[in-house]
Amino acid sequence: MLGYLARRLAQAVVVVFAMSIIVFVGVYAIGNPIDVLIDPGATQEIRAKLIAQYGLDQPLWRQYFTFLANVAQGDLGTSMVYNIPVVDLVFSRLPATLELVFVSVCIATFIGIPAGLYAGYKPGSLAARAIMALSVLGFSVPTFWIGMLLIMAFAVNLGWLPSGGRGDVGSLFGIPTSLATADGWSHVIMPALNLSLFKMGLLIRLTRAGMVEAMQTDYVKFARAQGLPDRQIVFNHVLRNISIPIVTVFGLELGSTLAFAVVTESVFTWPGVGKLIIDSILQLDRPVMVTYLVLVVILFVLINLVVDLVYARLDPRVRLKGKA
Amino acid sequence: MTRATLKSAVAALALLGTASTAMADDLVIGLRAGPDSIDPHWSTLGSQAEALRHIYDTLVDVDDNLQLKPGLALSWEAVDDTTWDFKLREGVKFHDGSDFTAEDVKFSIERIPEVTGPMSMTLYTKYVDSVEVVDDYTLRIHTKGIAPALPNDFTRLFVVPSETGMEARNEEFNSGAKAIGTGPYTFVSWQPKGDLVLEKFDGYWAETPEWDKVIRKEIPDDAARVAALRSGEVDMINYVPASDYLAMKNDSGLETFISDSVYILNVQPSVVDEEPQPITLNGEPVDGNPLQDVRVRKALDLAINRDVLVNVVLEGLGTPANQLMPEGFFGYSDKIGAREYDIEQAKALLAEAGYPDGFEIDFTCTNNRVPGDAVVCEALAQMWSRLGLKVKAQALNGTVFFPAAARKEYTMAMSAWGTLTGEAAYTYGALAHSPDEEKGFGNFNRTGYSNPEFDKVFDEGAQTLDPEARRKLYEEASYIAMEDRALIPTVILQTVWAADAASLTFAPRVDQETRAYEIWPAK
Repeated sequence: MLGYLARRLAQAVVVVFAMSIIVFVGVYAIGNPIDVLIDPGATQEIRAKLIAQYGLDQPLWRQYFTFLANVAQGDLGTSMVYNIPVVDLVFSRLPATLELVFVSVCIATFIGIPAGLYAGYKPGSLAARAIMALSVLGFSVPTFWIGMLLIMAFAVNLGWLPSGGRGDVGSLFGIPTSLATADGWSHVIMPALNLSLFKMGLLIRLTRAGMVEAMQTDYVKFARAQGLPDRQIVFNHVLRNISIPIVTVFGLELGSTLAFAVVTESVFTWPGVGKLIIDSILQLDRPVMVTYLVLVVILFVLINLVVDLVYARLDPRVRLKGKA
Repeated sequence: MTRATLKSAVAALALLGTASTAMADDLVIGLRAGPDSIDPHWSTLGSQAEALRHIYDTLVDVDDNLQLKPGLALSWEAVDDTTWDFKLREGVKFHDGSDFTAEDVKFSIERIPEVTGPMSMTLYTKYVDSVEVVDDYTLRIHTKGIAPALPNDFTRLFVVPSETGMEARNEEFNSGAKAIGTGPYTFVSWQPKGDLVLEKFDGYWAETPEWDKVIRKEIPDDAARVAALRSGEVDMINYVPASDYLAMKNDSGLETFISDSVYILNVQPSVVDEEPQPITLNGEPVDGNPLQDVRVRKALDLAINRDVLVNVVLEGLGTPANQLMPEGFFGYSDKIGAREYDIEQAKALLAEAGYPDGFEIDFTCTNNRVPGDAVVCEALAQMWSRLGLKVKAQALNGTVFFPAAARKEYTMAMSAWGTLTGEAAYTYGALAHSPDEEKGFGNFNRTGYSNPEFDKVFDEGAQTLDPEARRKLYEEASYIAMEDRALIPTVILQTVWAADAASLTFAPRVDQETRAYEIWPAK
């Protein structure tokens, strides 16, 4: 178990390094960030001074090693656009994204899995067919379009919910979050629903597929022959057996939602990290790009780790060995 | 329900929605872009200056047409070739109650080189050699060389109290600790990409502001901004997309405001000896660079149908351009007539230049910098194909376009240029002057255009302190560069604002700024 964890961590470190090198080479290949940022009226003299000031006249390897040396001292750099430490910048926006993703994942799970179970339990019924039809919509219709429809319906026409932004921030168990206030919930519910649709569709289909297959297996037949009520069969035995693919996909989706919620965030003007990252890419704000991508890599590694641990818990046949 | 009834139901509901706006004394504005910092000396970004203008005043202000008017300085004059005196306004208070004096201006000028970022504000202090405080309300600036544009540069000189201290950086400003100015509104809170919240400053030296509280929300997504207005979340938005403009114009609940902007889409033909992307005919590179021939450039110009660009391509949101600045700007030449579309004459000129069968040419544009850049790019390519050219048009993201343009990799390019200072030196000095590092001119000359006659007239203007004589020289310089087709201006872009008709009125500005103190409650 310990060996397994150590190996996983070592992998993460390698990936983080590779990521930072890719960002450096990528930005270098596109061009000089100063040429993107600089004011049209600036003279050659000002430009040359700025390039020297930010060390952009140095060879790439030296720029990279300067960066590594700073990281070693715990300094991930300062945003070129905002001139505040990137860690502060990213973490000032991250809670909002986490909040949004958390709610959307909850919606997806608590609607998606029961709906999938039902659709697999009674595959021929009208309700099951309706669920399946809706699930197709969930992952085939573009997010931004559904987002706009939701806004047009609930914010513009009905006026029930605000059209965007994050609500009042309260405190829940000492954590500042907008989920602590009613105003906060009224703001979060629409974007979270919007963001959850894709995952919900996916979960419904996965659960249903597993369910249909499992209901025909021998252990279910024996359990029925034994006289166990269906409720007990489904929730105690089937659900556990079909969980592994669901957990895998859930983990991957959680990661990608956290990292790339940008479409929903911009449609609903949610003050999360998504827009910040897109802008920093457009402005070639390298410190922010590196920090964020490194953070995303760590996040993915962590989620995968948790998924693996959950596997072992769900399926006694899975053993976590050093060579995983 | 038929489509028509559905539509009217939606419209009715939309009206109900817009009726419920924020409290009468508060103003909520949805803006495409906000500041990068609350430090007024950090960046030259337009949206930065626009936001911070509410908190800090500039030494010199500009009117609706970007021409100079008194700000914190009441008057200014050149005492001799390298000395300017600025008379300052008396009785002005900072938000913390301290008095505004010449020391504060001196401190602000000296602070800029210490703290400014990649969008360097030293641009506005580059002529300043030293600053001398004559008395509390008189400031003397010694310049490096003759600097007729000094007052123009000071339209972006925001003044902070000298007590701020040289150590204060963006974080102290963003937190509000140092966000102290003399402006009409005081700083309450801000976060990067978030809302900027402002409160009325009762001790403001000019008219007391109309709104008790102003919230400037950053909503970069066009559709989301429109939705925010329609749902009553905000009272007003800027940069209404062309597609929504027509619907809003017909909506009685909403008022739209249109203004020409300072931005003009310019075609930049490279006139260097060997063009960066080869111009070919039947697959073979042609001899020399055809764009060096002014007849070819004139042919390109004549083949542009600017009325079609404005009315069809930009859906009416533009004005034909005949030079690099809008009318009324300092140095705008009346001698340049409207640019007519004449395809026959264009073809004749092209044949005369030795290209009766045209040629194949690359044409590269930006696609996300200003509204309409990509569509105008495509339309131009089509217009030139009528001239017999084969145009390979490509619209690129600015992140890719600008560094490559700086490396002069394009044979023919198009991007927008805004005359942000309202005078010709800024635009023609950067775009049309021969590159000259010493004088700081030609720094955005991507075409290699170099005309000694233009340089001579322009340089003389840049060395002339008398405004009227300078204006004449700049007009002449504009005329020379435009007759040469150094760059080919196409259209002046327009900007649209929209607001809840019942709650406010607004006078749109050519610099596209949305200033809370120029928005009034509807009577």
